[in-house]
Amino acid sequence: MKIKTCDVEAYGMSPTEAVEVKDLIKDFGSIRALRGVSFHVYNGEIFGLIGPNGAGKTTTLRILATLLLPTSGYVNVLGYDVTREADKIRPLISYLAEDAGTYRNLNGYEYLSIVSKLYFSSKTDAENAVEEAIKISGLGERVMDKMKSYSKGMKKRIQIARALMVKPKLAILDEPTSGLDVFHAQYIRRIIKDHVKDGGAIILSSHNMLEVEYLCSRLAIIYNGEVIVEGEPHKIKDLYSASNLEEAFMEAIAR
Amino acid sequence: MKKLMPLIEKEVKDLLRDPRIYIGLIIPIIMLPITGIIISSSIRSVAEASVKRLDVAVIDQDGSILSRGYISMLRSMGLNIINPESNSLNITIREAEENGLKAVIIIRKGFGEQLSNFRRVNVDVYLIVGGVGFGSIGGFSALDEIIKLSSKALSSALISKIAPNVNPEDVRNPLNITRYTVIKGRIISAAPQSIMSQLVIGYGVIVPLVLFILALTMAQIAATATAVENEEKTLETLLTFPVSRYEILLAKLLGSSVVAVLGGIIFAVGFFLYIGGLSGAFIPAGTFIPIELNVGVTNVLSAIPPPPSESYFILAVSLIISILFVTSTGIVIGALSSDVRMASSLLGVIVIPIFIPSIIIMYGDPRVLPVSLQILVYAFPTSYPMILAKEMFLSGVPQEVIYGIPYSAALTFAVIYMTSKILAPEKLLVLQHRLKMRRIRRGKKPS
Repeated sequence: MKIKTCDVEAYGMSPTEAVEVKDLIKDFGSIRALRGVSFHVYNGEIFGLIGPNGAGKTTTLRILATLLLPTSGYVNVLGYDVTREADKIRPLISYLAEDAGTYRNLNGYEYLSIVSKLYFSSKTDAENAVEEAIKISGLGERVMDKMKSYSKGMKKRIQIARALMVKPKLAILDEPTSGLDVFHAQYIRRIIKDHVKDGGAIILSSHNMLEVEYLCSRLAIIYNGEVIVEGEPHKIKDLYSASNLEEAFMEAIAR
Repeated sequence: MKKLMPLIEKEVKDLLRDPRIYIGLIIPIIMLPITGIIISSSIRSVAEASVKRLDVAVIDQDGSILSRGYISMLRSMGLNIINPESNSLNITIREAEENGLKAVIIIRKGFGEQLSNFRRVNVDVYLIVGGVGFGSIGGFSALDEIIKLSSKALSSALISKIAPNVNPEDVRNPLNITRYTVIKGRIISAAPQSIMSQLVIGYGVIVPLVLFILALTMAQIAATATAVENEEKTLETLLTFPVSRYEILLAKLLGSSVVAVLGGIIFAVGFFLYIGGLSGAFIPAGTFIPIELNVGVTNVLSAIPPPPSESYFILAVSLIISILFVTSTGIVIGALSSDVRMASSLLGVIVIPIFIPSIIIMYGDPRVLPVSLQILVYAFPTSYPMILAKEMFLSGVPQEVIYGIPYSAALTFAVIYMTSKILAPEKLLVLQHRLKMRRIRRGKKPS
């Protein structure tokens, strides 16, 4: 059963689409990872993609991030086709892979500085972006330390800062808080929430239903390469007569 | 291309600060000179010790005044003469072996009489080998030299007795030969053997060896630079940045090359310090030197006409092509490796095809080889700078290099194109996925 509840205007958001995915299929050799996935993400919203391991979340996000090409179907990101116009999409997006690593031998400042130079041609803009990233990361003086000395939480914070400092129109975050303790996870959720206030969109995946309910204005549950339900969290809970999103998720998967 | 500089900055900083890279780069400049000094001092001390104490037993079967005088002469020339207890050769040799003597010399009966009659006399020398090493060789050479010297002294005495006003040297060597070598129209006052040995060792062996090490260093650094992106999970993020895959590839090519050239310079300095350390090893006069290590190439080069300037240009072009070839091959290997260790293992694939032609070029002439080996040599762009470096001083630019450069350029372009295709995220992720699945199917734990 698939439902569409794109009631974004009720939340005061612009209904313009940041992402449109239609009948997306992705094959890896003889294995079909995605079986006709469709959903929309609107500007100014945080969209959650949830599902069990191997459901196709990361493959979908990698296609949006221009890392993989669709086998068939239509994927439009910020007005550009991912198959033909990846070069136009990349300056507008940021991607944070679930297990994204850091350059061990660079310090945090050098890393941020190098990435910002790739996005901004103006030196001032690049420097401002780095200043912003240092604030977002909350690393303080430690930003001058080599990243191999960073804890897992610090690495995640600098990656989030790297992804958001360039003010992407779409940030694609694959399990941004996985493996983090409560304090660091809470810190990163606040940063994510703040980012969309400027009108940018975020699509994220997560296994944490409380997090998804807290962060996302809309979400899609993906299972076995298919979107089985898409909508606002409370409507999905209502649909499955569930008291929380976790129950709704379990019910959706069971059906 | 404005985005190239930050990418190169990332590559160079990340590589130079990586212990897996900088330790490998620093080791030659520390280890090679130390190795040279250790080898040098151990050889020298053994050689000096063996020359300092040249103990020999002399069996004087003649017992004449002249034979006793000859023994005194040997003693004055530095031999420590020990009188054997027995006149039996077998017993004396056994005692000499037991007591660590260098030789047993037998002065045959009739020594004095034959010498007085201006006839050749028989002296047998039994050299006793007690161990293997440069020290023993040095001792034998010194002993041999002393015996030759004693023969010369005897001949001088005999010549002076017949003709007191004649210089004995004029009789022994009536031809005063001065050797000249003509190279490309220039006359050099030296025997060709000495010039050739310097050129062969300098440009036939050392230059190809340094180029070979440089090629390997480049391939290894490029492979490590790319594999480490997989190992640290940074490549996926890098490929989503707003830069083209050509810029990423070019940054890796240039970054790896800069670091590898630096490594090559460090290796070359270390290698020459090693040679410098070794050259002080051999020494007491007359001691046999196994290989002429103190090449003094610069002296020969200043004497022979320089190669035409276009050969330097061609050398530079072939070097650049080789650098691009090995670095892009290293990038392919690194991109397909899940970690640095796997990349190092896969590098064996590139080491052998570069190593075998290098050996052939260093110690042989590819032109006289069977066709299959010629194909092996000429197939790899790395062979051409080695061939050119070896030939350019005496023969100019060889024909095969002139034909080889366009071929190398085309092959290198194809490898770079293939590398850029592999660096396309879709291809790379799918290829890595396939390799991972293959390893799983073979029962290995995926990384």
